[in-house]
Amino acid sequence: MWTGIMVPLRQELMVTLILFLLLFIKVGASEYRTGTILRLVNILLLANLVLGFFPCPDATLFNGMFHTGRLIVLEKNILNLGTLIVSLLAYDWLKEHRQALEFYMLLLATLTGFFFMISSGNLLMFYLGLELSTIPLTALSGFDLEKKQSSEAALKFIISSAFSSALLLFGISLLYGATGSLGFDAIPRRLDGSAFQLFAFILLLSGFAFKISVVPFHLWTADVYEGSPVAVTAYLSVISKGAVFFIFIQALYTVFRPLAGNWNRMLILLSVLTMLTGNLFALRQNNLKRLLAFSSITQSGFILAGITGSSRAGDASVIYFILIYIFSNLGAFGVVSLISAQTGRENIDDYKGLYAANPLLSWVMAISLFSLAGIPPTAGFFGKFFLLMAGAGRGNYVFIGIAALNMVIALYYYLRVIKAIFMDSQPQPIGKLKIPLLPNIAFGLCVAGILVTGVMGWVYDYIYSLSIGF
Amino acid sequence: MGSSSLIVLFFAGVAFAAGGIAAARFFVKGTKNRQKGEAYECGIPTSGTPWNQFSIGYYLYALIFLIFDVELVFMYPWAVAVRRIGMPALVEIVIFLFILFMGFLYAHKKGALKWM
Amino acid sequence: MGTTQLLFWFLSILAILGAILVVTSKNPVHSVLWLIVVFVAISGHYILLDAQFLAIVNLIVYAGAIMVLFLFVFMLMNLNADTEPQKNRWLKIAGVVTGGALLLVLVAALKKADLKAQMAEMGKGDIGLIHNLGLVLFKDYVVPFEISSVLFLSAMVGVVVIGKKAEEDKTTLGSQKYGG
Repeated sequence: MWTGIMVPLRQELMVTLILFLLLFIKVGASEYRTGTILRLVNILLLANLVLGFFPCPDATLFNGMFHTGRLIVLEKNILNLGTLIVSLLAYDWLKEHRQALEFYMLLLATLTGFFFMISSGNLLMFYLGLELSTIPLTALSGFDLEKKQSSEAALKFIISSAFSSALLLFGISLLYGATGSLGFDAIPRRLDGSAFQLFAFILLLSGFAFKISVVPFHLWTADVYEGSPVAVTAYLSVISKGAVFFIFIQALYTVFRPLAGNWNRMLILLSVLTMLTGNLFALRQNNLKRLLAFSSITQSGFILAGITGSSRAGDASVIYFILIYIFSNLGAFGVVSLISAQTGRENIDDYKGLYAANPLLSWVMAISLFSLAGIPPTAGFFGKFFLLMAGAGRGNYVFIGIAALNMVIALYYYLRVIKAIFMDSQPQPIGKLKIPLLPNIAFGLCVAGILVTGVMGWVYDYIYSLSIGF
Repeated sequence: MGSSSLIVLFFAGVAFAAGGIAAARFFVKGTKNRQKGEAYECGIPTSGTPWNQFSIGYYLYALIFLIFDVELVFMYPWAVAVRRIGMPALVEIVIFLFILFMGFLYAHKKGALKWM
Repeated sequence: MGTTQLLFWFLSILAILGAILVVTSKNPVHSVLWLIVVFVAISGHYILLDAQFLAIVNLIVYAGAIMVLFLFVFMLMNLNADTEPQKNRWLKIAGVVTGGALLLVLVAALKKADLKAQMAEMGKGDIGLIHNLGLVLFKDYVVPFEISSVLFLSAMVGVVVIGKKAEEDKTTLGSQKYGG
């Protein structure tokens, strides 16, 4: 009986176990060395990642509260991989931080929340998972304890996420009133597209839209991304967003399938707005973190374009794109994080002439940005290609044309950074920077991921074989 | 309906208290002057406003109190249901309390419960 | 109109009135006091729905603990009535219009909705009693219950991480100012 619970729950249990191990160390040990602990945590996270690859049976536990399958395990593995890369990148910053243990405790709590959220089979469970991820994330974005900007980011984040949670809860309660159930399996049977149910759905959609920073609800993104420590920003933009997209697409394709005709049109509108607004604002940014924040809003728009395909290809392309997005965005954020930690410079102008002293960092940045822009040899191109193909599956060629146009606009500001790095010069360029071992491994993982994932067709085929059909 | 009698009782309680205050207003012949409004009617005159900036310590206490408050709220249904459910309920609450107790130890270790 | 209905209307009007006063009060402390009125009214609604336990919890946790927390925040941030920024008139009008539009949509949606056909199952009206709540919580909703403990733990860690550092700042400041 115990293995029946332990095996499907293993990833959640492992993450919680690491969390409690750190808590025990914090409470029990009178003295410890941060560097040792950080290396231990990274090894444990690697073990956690490996653990996920063992075969797992499909299971539905606890009266349908928790369900898992090969697709969900794959999604959790993607999140685990991203967390490991973030952790490796943050090593340099955390080594000097007095509260490195707390950083991991909060980080792992959010990860547990994401896991339970993705696996939830009940709206209550989903909401708890979401809160479990949001509350520690707030504390994390205020983690640069000496910086005022970081506290500001935390405050903005908690207020906007409390607001979005309120919308979500209102939507959930109306949905419960309209359908009489919270279970994911019972709700679709009772959805008939009445105005009241649509109202509840729109509230739920708004709550989701906040979390994935889709345009009318994106206002918190840039400030929070800029103020938070870079590692947290990277985590927010990749893992947090990826996890919410996973459950979002799952909810749309299974729970809200009867309303597909309605949400399809909504998502197309939101997608166009998101891509355009994200791009137009990104054009005028000088701070690299803000630029990446707006670029991540744009990427959300592209992911929405994939979701509107509402087909098996839509699900597969979104998961595939998020995998690639993790590599590309973390590569870019890793470079920004390293340079910001060692020199404190974050503006595009500061990056002029970076190539002269730091060729390795420059190439990592360039490859990541190429991938984000979707330029052919990199994986980002294949990710975007599949997303747009899935979106075009419904015959919305005008919409896909707008999306393609946006890719061209986005190219401008990505290339602006690359031009600054490789072609421009400035009186005081950034000197030669030391890259510690762990961030170096992370860069290697990111670049390998960007270059290899696109070329190897079986990755997409594998994801496609697991995806939710429509 | 049993619950509406409960709510009537509740309002009767409110009315009882409010009635007392209203009656006092009506019967007592009050004097009104500036001194009446002071925090201390005799002694050194107060200065400044009561609107001072508090230390975050109060807030920390209040928040930790709130967390344990919510925790205790879960104990009531448990206490009523434990007999019917038996052993599993005991295990569940022990895990729950253990996790929160760890949190308490953590706060204690960090000195969050120490008054400055 | 029976007692229940009478009470329902009374509590609803009280709650809405309180909510409006929360928003319109100039002094934040008055807002908090009105919010307590709202919570009491909502607790009354819970009792009408036969959820006595929830009503009491709502009073203890919300009207009790969380309101104290609110007051502490006002003290902490020194939010006086004087310092509250004046909002733009157009912003106010825009807020009223959008909120009114949302209300209109909700009312229209509710009016068209046929809730009786698929209303949430109420059973015999005793689901809110503490005994049944305990049975449901510890049988069907075990996992959410345990997850909520991890949620509390992480909230506590977050609070201590952020709050404790500010306190350290405070003590160094205090020692400079008052000599210890």
